[in-house]
This record gives sequence, C-alpha cells and structure tokens, in this order.
Amino acid sequence: MKKTGFLYDPRYLLHDTGPYHPEVPERLQAIYQGIEEAGLLSNLVQIQGQRADMQWIEAVHEVAYIRRFEEVCYAGQKSMDTPDCVMGSDTFETALLAAGGVIKTTEMLMQGEIDNAFCAVRPPGHHAETGEAMGFCYFNNIAIAANYLMRQWDVGKVGIIDFDVHHGNGTQHIFEKDPSVFYYSIHQHPSFAYPGTGREFEQGSAEGRGFTKNTPVLPGHGDEEYGHYIKRDLLPAFEKFRPEVILVSTGFDAHIDDDMSDVKLSTQAFTWLIETALGLAKEHADGRLISVLEGGYSLKRLPELGANHVRALLDA
Amino acid sequence: MFVSSSMTSEVITITGDASIFEAQEKMAKHTIRHLPVIDADNTLVGVVTDRDIRSALPYSLFNDSDSDAGREKVAALKIQDIMTRDPMAISPADTIQDALLLIQEKRVGAFPVVDENRRLKGIISVRDLLRAFTNVLGIGEPGTLLCILVTEEVGQLKKIVDTITEENISFGSILVARYWQEDKRAVFPYLLTLNVSRVKKKLKDMGYHLLDPMDWYMDQLPKHQP
Repeated sequence: MKKTGFLYDPRYLLHDTGPYHPEVPERLQAIYQGIEEAGLLSNLVQIQGQRADMQWIEAVHEVAYIRRFEEVCYAGQKSMDTPDCVMGSDTFETALLAAGGVIKTTEMLMQGEIDNAFCAVRPPGHHAETGEAMGFCYFNNIAIAANYLMRQWDVGKVGIIDFDVHHGNGTQHIFEKDPSVFYYSIHQHPSFAYPGTGREFEQGSAEGRGFTKNTPVLPGHGDEEYGHYIKRDLLPAFEKFRPEVILVSTGFDAHIDDDMSDVKLSTQAFTWLIETALGLAKEHADGRLISVLEGGYSLKRLPELGANHVRALLDA
Repeated sequence: MFVSSSMTSEVITITGDASIFEAQEKMAKHTIRHLPVIDADNTLVGVVTDRDIRSALPYSLFNDSDSDAGREKVAALKIQDIMTRDPMAISPADTIQDALLLIQEKRVGAFPVVDENRRLKGIISVRDLLRAFTNVLGIGEPGTLLCILVTEEVGQLKKIVDTITEENISFGSILVARYWQEDKRAVFPYLLTLNVSRVKKKLKDMGYHLLDPMDWYMDQLPKHQP
C-alpha cells in the first residue's frame, strides 16, 4: 500500500457561497464521509491546510489581483468579477489555506514523506486567471503547485492532467508559453459548455507550442469515447513529454448524475481515469502524483467517487 | 450592425495603370486577395482579385521564369485590362446582414464600400463578417449553451428570458433555430455563467424540454442530406 496523503481541513467549509450555489461545503463533507465510511481514513496520511506563503501565490497571480481579492472580501462584497464567484467574509482566508495546503502536500511529496496525494480543497482553482476570478475559482491551486515544484524543487517538467468536465482555462493560459509544463485537458466541448475555451486547435504558443493539448467531448458521450480519446491523445503526449511529477485537476462533474454537464461518465470511469494517470506517473515520474479537487457537484455520488479515488491512490 | 462599423477603413488600393506585378506584391505584402481600383479622386472604378491575376499569368511563367517574351507580355498588362469594371459595391449604411446575404448570393469574398458618389470608404470581406458574427454570438466570452425546445407561440421567449434573468444570469446571445417539427423551435441561450444546473432544473420544472444538443444535431442531419 502506498503512503497516500489526504489534504482536508474543516476550515475549507468556511468559504460561503450562499443558498443558491452548487459549489457548497457539503461537497467536501460528502467526499470526507465517503472516505471515512469506506474505512480508508486510517490508511491515509492526513494533512491539514495552512496559509500559503505569499511568494507562491504572487508567482502565479498579479499582486494587484491578490490585493483586490482580499479587499473586496473583507469589505463584505458578495461576489467578485462575475456573479459566478460568490463569496463570504472567509473566502479569501479559505483560498489561502487551500493553496497553502496544496503547497504543503507538494512539499511532503518531494521530501518523500508521501508517495502521492489527494487534496480535497475549496475553493477550486483551474478557471482562475492570473488577474481574474472565474467559474467559482480564485487562486489557481494547481498552477501554484506546478510553479512551486519548478522553482523550489528544480523540477524540470510538470505534467498536468485536467479531467474536470470544464476546460481549465486559467491553468492553460498560465502555462501556454512554457514548454516545461504540459497541460492536458479532456472536457465537454466548449461550444456547449463553460468556459468556451479548450478547442483542439489550442496547442500552446511561442516556446510552449505543442505543450498544451485539449480533447473536447461532445454532449451525451461517455466512457467509451473517454477511453478512446485518452489513449489517442493523453498517453502518446505524456510518453513523449516524460513528466517528472504529475498533477491532476480532479473534477467529478463529468459523471452521468452530475447536472452541471451533459457528459455521461460512469462511476467506474473515474477510477479508470485516476488509475491511468497513476500508470503514467509510475512509468515516468517515480509514481509522484498529486490530485487536486476542482468541480463535482452531485452530493449523492461524491462519497463513492471520493472513496474510489483515494483507494486507487493507495493501491497504485 | 452597420457595415461602417465592421468594415476595414484603411483600404489597400491600386490604380488602373499599375502593372499586375505591383498588384501581386501588394496582395502578398498585406495578405489580402482583393484590391479596389480607384482613380485620382478616390472614385471606385474596378476591383482586381488574386484570381484575376492568376488567370492573366501564362502557365509558362510559373514553370520558366526566364521566358523573356512571356514575361514582357505580362509586364505590359495593366490592372485596367484584367479588373472587373464597375463592380458591385455596398454602402456604409447597409447592415452586416445585407453584406452577409449578398456575399453568399454573389459568391464573392469581399465588397468595396462606397458613398453615394462612389467614393471608396472601405472594404468588407468574409473575414470582417466572421469577426462581427463571432461578436454577435458572444462566444469570445466564457459561458454555457442551453438548448431548449419550445412550441412556436407568442411569449415563449419572454418566459425563458425572464426565468434566466431571475437567476441573475447575463446573456451572451440567444439564437432561435428551426426544428424538424414544423410547430417547434429550438432556442439556444448562451449564458455567461458556469452555474447552470439550477436554471436548467427550473426550466424543466416549467415544462420545457431541454434538448441534448446531439439529439438536435442527429435529428437535423438526415434532413439535409442530398
């Protein structure tokens, strides 16, 4: 059994999105409960959140944006940049704890204290741009971790796999010119789903051209198509890139019972997805993989999906 | 939605007495395929396209650039010898819908834009129209597309728009398309949000049929096959 880290903190529940929002604290409670009831909690190395060192946030986000986020949050503003990004007075602090928790988990991985990990954090991050909150996201947790790996640990090549059903526009844009980060995303086709980016022709730019790959999936498609696309697009790309560490933007919203999308993945498909990512990590990255939660809104399905996810990490 | 706001105003032009090599160079330099031909007071007298030039160039020129005789003959040709005279043009006050329909009907790639005295004001190309319609569709902004099937009757769109507005969601665009059933229409609101699950449920509860976009596509497909 692997030493699998599990980042979770009750303070992640404090980011209050009000009564009419799908990105709710109950999502994390459902995941935690699923893992607990499956009897997996004692097998995991439990990690608590901590405030991020500002230098790692500033390495990805504009200082003016971070200040603005802090100010509007403490001024009691109810949303930021878009009506999607609803916030409460604890949102800024929670976002700092989430990013900091992911950094801490990454540090433990690099120090060899854990082999891999799942970070159950809120708010999510992959839509957050360097200077703009978008799609329920404020700080781009996974981009911050990738950057931390490169600067603090001299990791030369980071591979990011994003299987949230929405394209991770923020992550793509942050690294699109950077050949040391390969960003792969599979998501519902942007003509039908938020955020309207992630088309096949988006392949990175300048030095980073060829280090971004997108697989749009049509509404109504599911396991079979995902299986085909992952083998066609992700596997050869990562064989060639040979990442030293793999980061996974884990979204459970492509599930058939999740009403945020029209993609129809089965519960088993999510296990297959993380196992595939773990296979790539084993082959190229000494098994080093960190999964960070993005979306996934079906409170009914999240317990089982969360438990299956960490079980795959433990069994890797 | 007027041609004046979507056209290219700084037009690359040429005069009738220029050589076709000059026209060729201008097109290559600016990566364009249409040159309005003007006289001394900026009045439109013709249009020359890259196709006009290609038809004027003898095949031997491509194969054998040393063929002096052929080259001289082509060099002697003036734009006024190969251009389309008095070409169809449109007015800055025409709409981009006019331009779109006209471009489709006349099968050309661009129209010169002229005032009432046929003075050249600009040029509008397929490329300009694409940019305008990308803007109309709102697809430059992040959002989610809904597909709603409605029975065609007055007030349907209002109900849909009201419901979406109640959820405090902004519109990127809204399109209405024909459906294979005569009395039905497919409505496509493009919503500037990620948060669509609640509004989808609300619309369903109101009795609207939310289409799987692929069903719509599959239903439409056979009807258009030759």
